[in-house]
Amino acid sequence: MSKAAKQKIVAYAMVLPAFLIVMLTVAYPIVNSIILSFKDEKTGKFTLDNYAYFFTTPNQLKNILYTLFVVLVTVALAIVIAYLLALYLRFNHSRIAKWIGNLYLLPRFVPAMCAVYAMITIIRDSGLINRVGAAFGQDWKLGLMYHASGLIVMNLWFNIPFATMMIAAGLGAIPDSIIEAARDVGAGRMKVFRAMILPLSVKDVVIAATFVYMSNVGSFTTPYLMGGNAPKMLGIALFDQFNKYLDYNRSAALSVIMFLLCAVSAVVYIRTNLKDREWEA
Amino acid sequence: MFKYMNPKRFYHAVGRKKFWEFILLAVFIIFFYGPLLNMLLLAFSNSYEYPHVFAQAWGTKWWAYVFQQKSLVSSIAQSFIIAIATTAISMLFCIPAAYSIARFKYPGRKGFMLSFLLTNAFPKLGIYTSIAVLFYKYGLMGTYAGVIIIHMINSMMFMVWLPASAFRSVHRQQEEAARDVGAGPVRTFFKVTFPMALPGIAVATLYTFLGSMEEAQGTMLVGLGKIQTMPVAMYGIVLDSSAVQIGAVFAILLIIPSAVMIFAMRRYIGPEAISGGFKMK
Repeated sequence: MSKAAKQKIVAYAMVLPAFLIVMLTVAYPIVNSIILSFKDEKTGKFTLDNYAYFFTTPNQLKNILYTLFVVLVTVALAIVIAYLLALYLRFNHSRIAKWIGNLYLLPRFVPAMCAVYAMITIIRDSGLINRVGAAFGQDWKLGLMYHASGLIVMNLWFNIPFATMMIAAGLGAIPDSIIEAARDVGAGRMKVFRAMILPLSVKDVVIAATFVYMSNVGSFTTPYLMGGNAPKMLGIALFDQFNKYLDYNRSAALSVIMFLLCAVSAVVYIRTNLKDREWEA
Repeated sequence: MFKYMNPKRFYHAVGRKKFWEFILLAVFIIFFYGPLLNMLLLAFSNSYEYPHVFAQAWGTKWWAYVFQQKSLVSSIAQSFIIAIATTAISMLFCIPAAYSIARFKYPGRKGFMLSFLLTNAFPKLGIYTSIAVLFYKYGLMGTYAGVIIIHMINSMMFMVWLPASAFRSVHRQQEEAARDVGAGPVRTFFKVTFPMALPGIAVATLYTFLGSMEEAQGTMLVGLGKIQTMPVAMYGIVLDSSAVQIGAVFAILLIIPSAVMIFAMRRYIGPEAISGGFKMK
């Protein structure tokens, strides 16, 4: 056997076990869910009722729109704030910038549930903010618990550090020399930003935005602990269908709906990623 | 010193730019670290009646309470068993796959790489419910094996992509030099390639371990209450806790492993290293 052929066998032997695990534990169940979602619960015949249920029942439709609202607001706010923060960290060399640069990654490693719990101790009706208000004779009712705004605040806590990290990594790859060169030939700050920094970092912004979007469409812990009963985030609605109502066909349909919501951004993500890097440092 | 207490004085003392930087730092710390700090204080508050801002009595009463609960202590053991098993098994499968993708050229390489995105491209809960349907069929619900599979899915993308980019950054010439002086391929890997790629592998391993330690939704769904890791126990505590301090103590117990691991591996952790796990290069 030739050396090249041998190498190929080794290469496939190394990659296939992991690949098969993904196929067995992710791809196969998803395909199985898609099939299940078109079946009637009792007769097992083809039907679209499982999908129709989620788009015609007012409460279920509300859940879908509510989820999209929370997720899109989260993505927009998180990305804008993260971009500004990343720019600040990249181009400011003060001591404060250094402190923030050291501190912003840590929230990423705090278990989600602990962070949600910590936030609850602050914003609940008898939480820290209300108690501080009481000390000044005020009664501050934030109304964040069991409300979309609370979910968004919590999502920002999780996603700003993440998005900042992704964008900062991209901005870090832009060498100072080309910016100085542009400044030397007379480009102003805004010009440098629009013509160089923005186009060079847009790929990282898109990647960060798609991940924030995907991770929030299916978010569970935050709405489970701080979300209201109606409308619900889709993650909770799915958990109820599966665990409370034991309706596997409907939960399969809802999973597929959530997959499709995410597929949009997965396509964007893959396209951004597979494009060869047009510009090399 | 007192003149700095007046915002106006402070503004003129440090200058406009510095002033806004201090504001930024303050907002950053309060938003990201305020909740965690408040939780830390709560854990050591023996008594925390409304409307007191801080505890009326400090102490470790609630720590003693938590450690007297047998179920809570056993959940700590279960968490560690599952996290260690998950990390070991996913290393066994993913590191070879990463090496194969990074070092060999063969048809379908990009497809394999992309397949690992599947694990992160869809809402987790959708994947979990899809798997759970199959787990019921094969008797994996409520077993360690089932829970470990769920935890592995979570981390496979990191466990392949991060080490792959680490392997790619090891220069071929260095491997060839080792081969030239007579080292076999296995020895070259363990003496040259592996140590040089270690930072990337370390970050991936850290992510897998911590991800497993904090995974809650999938464990709750698949564990059927028979397997109670710390985060699953925490859901119960948060939702029907008699005292806010119990949750605080437990949340801090949950943070400790992350804090220890991050401190131990702080050299390797940076935006460039972590964001590598989200990009295909």
